[in-house]
Amino acid sequence: MSSQPLPMTALDATTQVSLQAISVSKSFVSGHVQSTVLHDLTLNMCASELTLISGPSGCGKSTLLAILSGLQGADQGKVIALGQDLSLLNLRALERFRLLHTGFVFQGFNLFPALNALEQVELPLSYLGLSKTEARRRATESLEEVGLGPRMRLRPSELSGGEKQRVAIARALAKRPELLFADEPTSALDAANGQIIIDILHRIARTHGTTVLCVSHDPRLVGHADRVLSMEDGRILSDHRPTSLPTGSGYGTEEPSA
Amino acid sequence: MVALARKTLVYEWRRFLPAVLAVGFAGLLQLLQAALVLGIFGSASVYITGSSADLWTGYPGTQSVNLGRPISSGVEMRLRMDPEVTRVEPFQWVDADWRGPSDTGGVSVFVSGIDPQPDGMMFSLALPAALRARLNEPDAVIVDVADLNSLGVAVGDTAAINGHRVRVVGVSRGLRALGGVNVVASLATARRLDTDPANVDRTTYFVAKVRNPDLAGAIAERLRGASDFGSYDVWTAKDFARRSKMYWMFDTGAGAGVLFLAGIVFLVGAVITSQTLVAAVIGSIREYATLNALGVGVGALRKVVMEQAFWVGALGLICSAVIGGLLLILGHSYSVPVALSPATTIACLSLVMALAVVSGLAAMRSLRRADPASLLR
Ligand SMILES: Nc1ncnc2c1ncn2[C@@H]1O[C@H](COP(=O)(O)OP(=O)(O)O)[C@@H](O)[C@H]1O
Ligand SMILES: [Mg+2]
Repeated sequence: MSSQPLPMTALDATTQVSLQAISVSKSFVSGHVQSTVLHDLTLNMCASELTLISGPSGCGKSTLLAILSGLQGADQGKVIALGQDLSLLNLRALERFRLLHTGFVFQGFNLFPALNALEQVELPLSYLGLSKTEARRRATESLEEVGLGPRMRLRPSELSGGEKQRVAIARALAKRPELLFADEPTSALDAANGQIIIDILHRIARTHGTTVLCVSHDPRLVGHADRVLSMEDGRILSDHRPTSLPTGSGYGTEEPSA
Repeated sequence: MVALARKTLVYEWRRFLPAVLAVGFAGLLQLLQAALVLGIFGSASVYITGSSADLWTGYPGTQSVNLGRPISSGVEMRLRMDPEVTRVEPFQWVDADWRGPSDTGGVSVFVSGIDPQPDGMMFSLALPAALRARLNEPDAVIVDVADLNSLGVAVGDTAAINGHRVRVVGVSRGLRALGGVNVVASLATARRLDTDPANVDRTTYFVAKVRNPDLAGAIAERLRGASDFGSYDVWTAKDFARRSKMYWMFDTGAGAGVLFLAGIVFLVGAVITSQTLVAAVIGSIREYATLNALGVGVGALRKVVMEQAFWVGALGLICSAVIGGLLLILGHSYSVPVALSPATTIACLSLVMALAVVSGLAAMRSLRRADPASLLR
């Protein structure tokens, strides 16, 4: 809505900005009370990076992710994804944009009980207009990438929680999206599985040049991201890059601050 | 293309079973009631469908074969003059009163006076040749085996029709009438039984055969144009049979009853089916929302729901066709009057498929809840 020029960013020339939020505000009205969830947020995210937005429950992380991914509109400001202003797209064009460019991983795995892992991943591919053999090839490749090669004929009821989330990641990955959004992808999982998931997301950013935006209240993920934005009450408080990735258990020493 | 609709249907068959049963039941009820109604009211036209005539000539405006009024015998000449007409035969209808040997009181009967020759057109399909030959005896009559009780006679007994003595020389099968009892006699006998002096030298119907039955419609058209020999009208056998059936169907209110019941069955079936489909959609709403987040359009998701509705319809349809077929065979073997034409079958089954489609459309609406933003928390 505002026509101000894009703020210049202090990023080095090699990093490519693929997703931008410019002065984004959002509020919800419940009854007569209007509560502002996002306060004039501006941020840039880069390709080949796993950006983690971390913060306590209710601080507006999911709302921010919904706006950045085009699932929800902002009240003010705009989102530019891959050079495209999302507010200019109608519903159908947004669907098409998501089909071609974005992947999603949610807290729930949302897999069809009737389909095996391979079919779950093939399903969205068939809507991309890929041939049957190409869809199968890509689906197999993605499932192998998340380490489910041997289990791709199993249905959700035969998979563990961590495996189901990996199927969900493979489903998003097989489309070869430039943008990958994950909302609390580890919340339904135990620590070990959560670590596997965040590592897979990190690897995807590195090897595919994908812009991965992960949102979580779990502070243990902090050490696994390239960049961490701490959020509180609808504002970004800090933006930092963890210097070294911890090895071994990998999870930070901080306790979750419920 | 991953066959999501079909695979879900197979995997979660318990969830879809009520819908399949509802569609199946609706189909079965529609088929059976159509078969019964057509079977019962089909006997209204047995005079026409049991005969081999191509054309029927009778009093103008006659709504049903049992409502015929006499026309001038001169019409026979008019029919014979048409080069396409190969044979003409009179058919006399007499409303009469029957008194049996055992005192059953008066029974109202319809006497059909027919030409008893072996190649006669009337009832050529309903009466075996040997049986119709017996009508050549004076005062001989044939009654239907199912009416023997109500007439209080056995074969060989004598009775009185309109005060004239007649003798039952045989029994027919499947020549039952609606609203009375059929009695078949020769033309000569029937004329003797007709006590109305106004009917002398007049005949109820002339039936005719034409060279090319495919042209019957056109011939009826040109014969009806002429008005010599007083007023009469000409119909093809098919038209007249239909007219008679329709008259009974709607005059008795049965038609309205059938339509009413069909509507109720449709409504109940659609409610159950759509509720089942809605429940299935809601059960997978998060998965549908995920697909939408990944860019699969709402239109494509609707297609999945419609495909499910289609399969539910198809399965229900197969159930009702198989069970209905078996019940009709059973009905036939117990002489229940059931009749089903291919057109009626197709109409019933299309109605059932329409039920499935309507339910699918209703279920499709619940896809609105597949909002991907609701998956974020
Ligand atoms: N659709 C909505 N209607 C009203 N309030 C909402 C809606 N979505 C989110 N909120 C409110 O916005 C705030 C931030 O929500 P959310 O972005 O889900 O937080 P987080 O993901 O950080 O836990 C919460 O207080 C929540 O109650
Ligand atoms: Mg959240």
